[in-house]
Amino acid sequence: MDTLSILLMGFISIVVVNNLVFTKFLGICPYLGVSGRIDMAFGMGLAVTFVVTLSGTLTWLIDHLLLIGTSLEVTRYICFILVIAGAVQLVEMYLRKFFPSLYESFGIFLPLITTNCAILGLCLLISLEGINSLLEAVVLSFGAGIGFTMAICIMAGIRENLDLADVPDCLKGAPITLITAGLLAMAFMGFAGMIR
Amino acid sequence: MLLADIYQLWQSAWPAGLTMLGLGSGFALVLLIASVKLKVEVDPKVEEIHQALPNLDCGACGFAGCGQYAKAVLEDAELLGKCAPGGPDTSGKIADILNLQVSDSGPHKKPIVHCRAHTEDKTFYAKYQGIQSCTAANALANVQACAFGCLGFGDCCEACKFDALSIVDGLATVDYDKCTGCTACSKACPRDIIEMVPFRHENMMTVACRSKETAKSTRAICKVGCIGYGLCAKQSDLFKVEENLARCDYAKYETTEKEETAMNKCPTKVIIYRGKTAPEPLQPRQKAAAST
Repeated sequence: MDTLSILLMGFISIVVVNNLVFTKFLGICPYLGVSGRIDMAFGMGLAVTFVVTLSGTLTWLIDHLLLIGTSLEVTRYICFILVIAGAVQLVEMYLRKFFPSLYESFGIFLPLITTNCAILGLCLLISLEGINSLLEAVVLSFGAGIGFTMAICIMAGIRENLDLADVPDCLKGAPITLITAGLLAMAFMGFAGMIR
Repeated sequence: MLLADIYQLWQSAWPAGLTMLGLGSGFALVLLIASVKLKVEVDPKVEEIHQALPNLDCGACGFAGCGQYAKAVLEDAELLGKCAPGGPDTSGKIADILNLQVSDSGPHKKPIVHCRAHTEDKTFYAKYQGIQSCTAANALANVQACAFGCLGFGDCCEACKFDALSIVDGLATVDYDKCTGCTACSKACPRDIIEMVPFRHENMMTVACRSKETAKSTRAICKVGCIGYGLCAKQSDLFKVEENLARCDYAKYETTEKEETAMNKCPTKVIIYRGKTAPEPLQPRQKAAAST
């Protein structure tokens, strides 16, 4: 396969088939916590997309230029956490300076992205799968962010309608949300096996 | 032997440590440069005002949180005094920061529920089984006999961020120890029976009813409703009767013996104390000499 189709396949795979939220159940905390309203969910998704693309690229670079060369793969976890925390800080400062209104609307979600395990998961996944080209790593990271945005927006849309539904008392709140998340994940299992 | 082990461990560990150190300092340097280059000048007054605010993020001022309010009040001094939980103290502090004089806005306002009918005092024509919220129930004309009294579904409790309200036997009850005076409950009540009242004293006397029904129909549907008989108004200027309903004029609030007599003489005992250490309300159709 030529490069373009590999990239395209990788993108579709990480967005739909191997969606981090639906198949690996990563990043569940913001997925359930910030999916109350669709506009907020979308904002969160965009912020995550930005950070995950940045940190996915950076970690791939550090992994290949530094860690593999010096056979220090054991320190991956710590290094990646460092990179993600640093990247979030940088993004926060940048947004605050140049896009104050965006910064205001993200509010607390921006620093919270640091602890979003979907991002660390994606970085580790990239090194685990042995992705060898930088371009592919970038596309995969971006796709993971898009996949997360899609998941959280679908969830927010459902939950907005769920507010009007007649839910039995014992299932109100978190239980029905978790059941919904489970059903959504099952629905997305229909894509399983389409692409590796 | 042990020393050799430690040495071996050190041999394999130092590159990792060094790499982490290098990476860490690299990121620290980048962040340091970024923090200098991307520094945002914030007016120190915003920070000062923010410190002076109670930091409850209750939203009573109409802004999303204390941070936003601090910024807004700096730009527009007319917004001063919107902080309900902070009350006059906070307004004064902010005014000091802004070099303004604040006019005396009176004592801190706290909510008073103008109804004292528990479930056993009320009359119901039928059992309501709809959506369990006051707003929904209020849309129905005959949800309970009294069209003015507390519905008891707890919209105010839900609105309260400080857990200061609870429904006790079908009546919203304020816990004045927890209440910050943020006005959320009085906005949430669809029947407008929660009024923000300046608490001059720890306990305030109030006419705990909002019913404008005639004496006859009020008596028929509620054991503790105001019938507008006017005994209290005869005793004291504090009370005024309009549209079959006695009201307490909080602008000239003052409790002397006259008001105590008015409270004791009230035939349905609807004049009661509300507050932190409010005495048990008198019960109707009892001798007025009950303990206070």
